[in-house]
Amino acid sequence: MASFRWVWQYIKPSKVNWFWASLWTVLVALLNIVTPYIGGMIVDEVIDNERGSLLVPLLIIMVAATVLRTVLRYVYQMMFETIGQDVLFQIREDLYVKLQEMDFVFFNTTRVGDIMARMTGDTDAIRHAVSWVYFNVLDNIVLFISAIAFLGGIQWRLMLAMLIVTPFIGILTVMLSSRANAAYYEIRESFARLNSMVEENIGGNKVVKAFANEDYETKKFNKRNEDYRERNLFSARISRTYLPVLETLAGLLSVISIGLGGFFAITGLMTVGELVAFNGLVWMLNAPMRNIGGYMNDSQRFITATYKIREMLSAQPLIPVELQRREKRIRGEVAFQNVSFAFADDPDNKVLENISLKAAPGQTIGILGETGSGKSTLVNLISRFFDPTEGKVLIDGEDIKNWNVRELRQNISIVMQDVFLFSDTIKKNISYGTPKATLENVQKMARVADASPFIEKMPEQYQTYLGERGSGLSGGQKQRLSLARGLMKDPSILILDDTTSAVDMETEVKIQEGMKNVSYQKTTFIIANRISSVKNADEIIILSKGKIIERGQHQELLQKQGAYYDIYNEQLGRSEVEEG
Amino acid sequence: MAENSFEEDKQLGTKFNKEDYKRIGAYLAPYKFSIMKIFAVIIFSNLVLVLGPFLTSIIIDDTIPNQDTTQLIWITILYTLAIFLNGAAVRYRLYNITELGQNVLRDMRSGLFNHLQRLSFSFYDTRPHGKILTRVVNYINTLSDLLSNGVINVLSDILSIVVTLAFMLSLNATLTLYSFILLPVLFVITLVIKNKQRVAYDELSVEQANLNAYIHESIAGIKTTQSYTREGMNYDIFSKFSDNQRKAWMRAVRIQFLLGPFVQNIATVTIAFIYFAGIRGLGVDVSTGILIAFVGYVNNFWNPIINLGNFYNSLVSGSVYLERVFELMDVEPSIKDSENAFEMPPVKGDVEFKDVTFGYKEGQTIFEELNFHVKPGETIALVGPTGAGKSTITNLISRFYDVQKGAILIDGIDIRNVTLDSLRNQVGVMLQDTFIFSGTILENIRYGKLDATREEIIEAAKIVRAEEFINDMKHDYRTVVQERGSTLSAGQRQLISFARTLLADPKVLILDEATSSIDTQTEILLQEGLDRLLEGRTAFIVAHRLSTIRNSDRIFYIGDKKILEAGSHEELIEKKGLYYQLYRTQSDLLQKV
Repeated sequence: MASFRWVWQYIKPSKVNWFWASLWTVLVALLNIVTPYIGGMIVDEVIDNERGSLLVPLLIIMVAATVLRTVLRYVYQMMFETIGQDVLFQIREDLYVKLQEMDFVFFNTTRVGDIMARMTGDTDAIRHAVSWVYFNVLDNIVLFISAIAFLGGIQWRLMLAMLIVTPFIGILTVMLSSRANAAYYEIRESFARLNSMVEENIGGNKVVKAFANEDYETKKFNKRNEDYRERNLFSARISRTYLPVLETLAGLLSVISIGLGGFFAITGLMTVGELVAFNGLVWMLNAPMRNIGGYMNDSQRFITATYKIREMLSAQPLIPVELQRREKRIRGEVAFQNVSFAFADDPDNKVLENISLKAAPGQTIGILGETGSGKSTLVNLISRFFDPTEGKVLIDGEDIKNWNVRELRQNISIVMQDVFLFSDTIKKNISYGTPKATLENVQKMARVADASPFIEKMPEQYQTYLGERGSGLSGGQKQRLSLARGLMKDPSILILDDTTSAVDMETEVKIQEGMKNVSYQKTTFIIANRISSVKNADEIIILSKGKIIERGQHQELLQKQGAYYDIYNEQLGRSEVEEG
Repeated sequence: MAENSFEEDKQLGTKFNKEDYKRIGAYLAPYKFSIMKIFAVIIFSNLVLVLGPFLTSIIIDDTIPNQDTTQLIWITILYTLAIFLNGAAVRYRLYNITELGQNVLRDMRSGLFNHLQRLSFSFYDTRPHGKILTRVVNYINTLSDLLSNGVINVLSDILSIVVTLAFMLSLNATLTLYSFILLPVLFVITLVIKNKQRVAYDELSVEQANLNAYIHESIAGIKTTQSYTREGMNYDIFSKFSDNQRKAWMRAVRIQFLLGPFVQNIATVTIAFIYFAGIRGLGVDVSTGILIAFVGYVNNFWNPIINLGNFYNSLVSGSVYLERVFELMDVEPSIKDSENAFEMPPVKGDVEFKDVTFGYKEGQTIFEELNFHVKPGETIALVGPTGAGKSTITNLISRFYDVQKGAILIDGIDIRNVTLDSLRNQVGVMLQDTFIFSGTILENIRYGKLDATREEIIEAAKIVRAEEFINDMKHDYRTVVQERGSTLSAGQRQLISFARTLLADPKVLILDEATSSIDTQTEILLQEGLDRLLEGRTAFIVAHRLSTIRNSDRIFYIGDKKILEAGSHEELIEKKGLYYQLYRTQSDLLQKV
């Protein structure tokens, strides 16, 4: 019931149409009676009572009623389709908005395939229920009830004899649907697994080929594919148990109609015309019984789909997105006060521990550290993609939690380690955060990021379409596009997370030179492995297992002869020896 | 660069292809025996259906006027029996049709998947992955329904029309003729609707594909979207796609739903005409029973016609999917085993490029007449500006692309003459894009050598210094990572990917920016293990860090579509050329404090 109440709020805006369409459905169902009823009258009145003048008017009524019925049916079908599409549109939109608000933890733990299933298959099950199943069920109910009324009117004894069968049908249907429900769930899960597997295979096609593991992938796929088939067959086995029985029971109605009806006609309880009419209306009892199983399945699918969608819609992002704005430009002061962080699923494993640091507007902080030491997590806290488990992050002296998160992010450019490019033109990719930017501006930033030389070599230059995730570009090219994109925003705080790792030294120098002009007055965080990237920073911090083990400026750190000194020597030391 | 972005999916022509139906036939062929059995069962069911009106006409014409109760009982028993047999037939049909459909579905999907495994990089680089995915999973589902249920129902409908027709003819020929008088009208209407519907469905499938591709990319790129606060604009784009899909849907159903009303009206007019003809004579003289039976038959007859119309509808919409699936199956892999390909014998590691000319696109060469020869066991560092083609060289050695001119020889054998499997099994590449599959860390490393033992895997992890962070994880090697390893740092992903490559134990090793995201401390440690490993292997290393480069036997400086400088570190420093400059830049930078 909760599912119906939930979906009603989406139908509500069209409730007037919904009401009229339902009314037409009832009317059309009733009009179904006209043809067989007239058939009976023709036999009784025209043939038996020889009132030939009635024939033509009766036939005209019959045809007219059919025209009316089919036109009305078309009208209400279109009305329901419109409503169904509007509902689909709205639900999909709500899901999309919700997804935009969800936090990184959610996306790290939810498979893309699952979200896709919510957005496509599940929403479609709801559309199907709204624009198809509902009116068909209504139609069938009206048919069934009016059939009982009419058949009872013609010959109540015969009608009662038929009703004996109906309780069995009811029981069987309930049994079928409860068992089928579980089977459908299994099918969906199996399908999701298949889907995810294919998706990964496509995404990782280069690795598959590099290791010549095509056969292994095929085997893996065949297993999933076979599983999906098995689940479907299992469901068919359930249908095989119940549906033939339902079909037979429905068929027995015709037997009763002919057998008992014939007996009544012989004994004079019924006229032949009445028998004809009765026989012509049996399908109205029959059809709902045959259809009920299918609609039950559809309803189950609808209910499961609403559960899944409601679950997603009610998910609360860990980082709430509030709407009120304060329209304040961030100056760029960043402070960490005793910040610790651990992921919720592994609370004992502290990714960051007791971090304190302060960057005044315009300052540069360099961050070095081992693989997995928490560098990226640290900068993700500045953009508030996660909230610290302990301690506070302050921006311009105010707790980051008091800022409107979208506004905050508008003032921060984070150039991420994992470069994600969209399948769109290079220009649109660079101006992703600033869609209104002019081509001149895009070109300017591309020059700063040293991306312009390779872009301009392409035949369509900035209008070149990129493949999914920028496939076809080298790692260094992707990084430079991503950097240009980050610079376009003109942020108060600029975060470069290992942005030039795949770029050669010469290019990096060029980029650093160019950046001096644009990153002036920006608070900058640079994560890098190269000393050259961070050595001019106002403060360099070295992370190890989530803790700051060294901090200071380049010279200070060299004098300390600690970890930084070792790294420096490794990167430079040996070359000095050989050069001399 | 991309074939099509999410904004456009090529529209197909308005005609459908007969060849496609032949191809469907090929999928059904292995199951022809079970199809025939299902058929026989359907014929039986149809006879039962026809029995109804026939027995009714006997009762009306004979039993009731003669008040023959015995005959009535016999008819009832006969009919009951038939209904039960029909129940059994339905049981058989239900399961076997599903089985048939699922078998065909499995075969098709498996065929498509197999085909995808053979397609080359350039295929994947130029198409949104969401669109490939939709074809493999969603379109094929739609098709299977069409193939199993659809085809069998159609045949059963046709059979039921034939059986009904036979009964009608046996009862009264003229009345039968009258029943068909409006058939041509129906035919014309169906044709008109069909053409419009196909166009509408084609549009719908395009809109649907665009919408799905956009949703897919929105989810995949959500982190970027959030950090650029592009939510608002993406929402507008999404709304536009969603609205286009809604409009296309409405256009399609508006046409599709027209067919039903036409058929029903034509059926009713036909029934009216039969009553009129039967009662007013019009060259027929029939009993009431037969007249009633005829009305029943006309219904029996029009129902299958409506079903046929519906099937035609779904065939028309399904053919759009079918063509897209076949289109994908028809993409020829640009790299495949040549006809006489033989197994690559165990590789010693001699690699030679002979006059190699190559470009990803026609007219845009990356290399022209590139020549070099690498002896077994040599380590070669590839340096040069980004985009010069360092990765391209490595791609060519594994034959991810074919050269346009010239040849690449390994141990003197042109790599185009050997099977891809045997080549790639002996040439190990660690790609720039590390890709982590969802599953455990152990499984991810094992990907390099599927029969590796746990010990071998741990050994590989130790060599690349991944051991430490793996042991720090909640369930060490059994820790499950998500799609694309989103919970790992870039450096950790590189280490796993590195371990994977080492496990494969290749004779020719290619490291493409294998350590770019790895910190210096880890790299020093890693280097020691690596030095041991490189012994006796030919290796190509693309790296920017000079400390990595210096240790190699020879350095190739690549630029201007060729190798500009080649030699050992010392030789090149002596030469004071491009490499020297590159080298100076780094050391200057580091020394300038």
